[in-house]
Amino acid sequence: MNIRNNLAKSCVLAALVFWIITGLGFEESNMVLLVLVSFIPIFFIASLVILSTICSVFWITEKNGLSKTQVYKRYFPYYAIFTFGIAAFGIISTNFSIFSIAFFSSAFITTSQSWIWFAKNKQV
Amino acid sequence: MKHIITIIASLAFSTLFYEKHIGLNLSIFSIITIGVLAFYNLSAFKNKQTILHTFIYLVTAVIVFMQHSYLSIIANCAAFFTLIGVVSQRDTSVYIYWLNGLYTSIAGFFHRNFEASQTKEQVKPKKEIDWIHLTKLVGIPLVFIIVFVMLYKNGNPMFNNLVSQINFNFINIQWVLFSVLGYYLFSNISKPIQVEQATLADLKTTNHLNKSEHISEEKLKKEKQLGTLLLGLLNLLIVIYIITDILYLKTHDITKASTLSYQVHNGINTLIASIIIAIIIILYFFRGDLNFYVNNKNLKAVTYLWIILNIVLIALIAIKNQNYISSFGLTYKRIGVHVYIFLTLIGLVTTFIKVLNIKNLIFLFRKNAQIAFALLVILSAINWDYTITNYNLTKAKAYDIDYLIKLTNRNAVLLHNKKDDIIISNANRLRIENKYRNYLSTVRQRDWQEWSYDNIALDHNTRTK
Repeated sequence: MNIRNNLAKSCVLAALVFWIITGLGFEESNMVLLVLVSFIPIFFIASLVILSTICSVFWITEKNGLSKTQVYKRYFPYYAIFTFGIAAFGIISTNFSIFSIAFFSSAFITTSQSWIWFAKNKQV
Repeated sequence: MKHIITIIASLAFSTLFYEKHIGLNLSIFSIITIGVLAFYNLSAFKNKQTILHTFIYLVTAVIVFMQHSYLSIIANCAAFFTLIGVVSQRDTSVYIYWLNGLYTSIAGFFHRNFEASQTKEQVKPKKEIDWIHLTKLVGIPLVFIIVFVMLYKNGNPMFNNLVSQINFNFINIQWVLFSVLGYYLFSNISKPIQVEQATLADLKTTNHLNKSEHISEEKLKKEKQLGTLLLGLLNLLIVIYIITDILYLKTHDITKASTLSYQVHNGINTLIASIIIAIIIILYFFRGDLNFYVNNKNLKAVTYLWIILNIVLIALIAIKNQNYISSFGLTYKRIGVHVYIFLTLIGLVTTFIKVLNIKNLIFLFRKNAQIAFALLVILSAINWDYTITNYNLTKAKAYDIDYLIKLTNRNAVLLHNKKDDIIISNANRLRIENKYRNYLSTVRQRDWQEWSYDNIALDHNTRTK
């Protein structure tokens, strides 16, 4: 798996989604700085989540001889439903604050897209 | 054309739901959803199963408008997922409908994106779009233009003034994002997908048990003996329990709230444990070849008796709960107990059918899930706040007025109409008056998207007065 490449793409996607939803209200002078600085925590959070919840599934199932497509079709539906459930719970419990909508939407979209990137990887 | 339909639906989605409470919008959304589903999957809508679930979904949409309750919203959402699941694969169990419906609604886009990348057409070079080049074409000039605009702003006051006049405030970005969410949702449901493994496994599984090729009669005989003895003793025990319970009901004063409350809650706990153990024991003994064993008549007889005695136990709990209700009024918890008792009864009846007709465990899951779904839709059609208030004020021997006032505004009109006919303090009468005023102002302030039947009723009342 091309982990570095996928993590980089995921980080950019997460930041993009997050700032599209939440960053539009900031003053432009703060905005550039905030976006740049935000890449650090976003990279750490995205990497941690992706490595621990997506890569680990591929690593474990690789030993059972399943192809990446099979792993995707077998586990992604439940993963998507579970993450969506957490995201919905997080958004509702924070009373639909913009930050939580941005954070959880970003997390759901990024992890779902990461599954596709990892499953599409031909390199084992 | 297909994209245009989805875009129109997504704009309607924003118009209906952006910064609005649930009401007429959910009912209209249901109709739009059926339209979009039918447009993309016309062949699926020629099937009776799909038509039936479309009708159920429409009924729940009407119920949302009429009742305007959380339960009706939950029933509408359940019917939404069920309908999408039916369009996805109509021959599966109802819980697979829910799974497929849920998966389609939340991740259909990602699934199709992955599937598309797997098809050969997608890898043909002539159809590939050079996204990197496209991004460069748009992104790089945009970044440089923004940087230079910011530099020039400081160098020329007239240019600065011109740039300052550029104002995009007329665009509501959040409304646009909400439309994107609507587009995502309608794009997902336009072509329902399946959780393949679960769907295939469910399609392969029938409701019937199959006989093994090699049956050990000795093993079955021992198992039958154990089952008959165990269920026989449990029958004896439950008979003693039921007799003592009836005697207790006849000989003791159970008009005290605390006694009745203890009786009902204790009875429910007993019932939960008893029914779960009963079903597990029955499922264990009738899991396989014992169903086909010629000498299993005694075991079947004690099993049927065990089920019937559990039904008697349910009836006793229902009587206690009803006594509790008639003495101290109806509440949501007491209705919940009745619903639980009914569901338990259904569980026992389906277990009875399972043993009688030699069905498997999946049969139980399928039938019970179907009944639970039907019950949800039926229960959502009732205005429970009104029912509770009406029962307590007209039939119950005693009631808690504070509880009735704290219910949602769906009983405000009834409370207001009855406030002078019941004996309550002036403070509570004032609270009812305030609740009624609050109800009127809430209903009148609603936007058209949030309308419910209350708006029509209120409008009608105002005209007739």
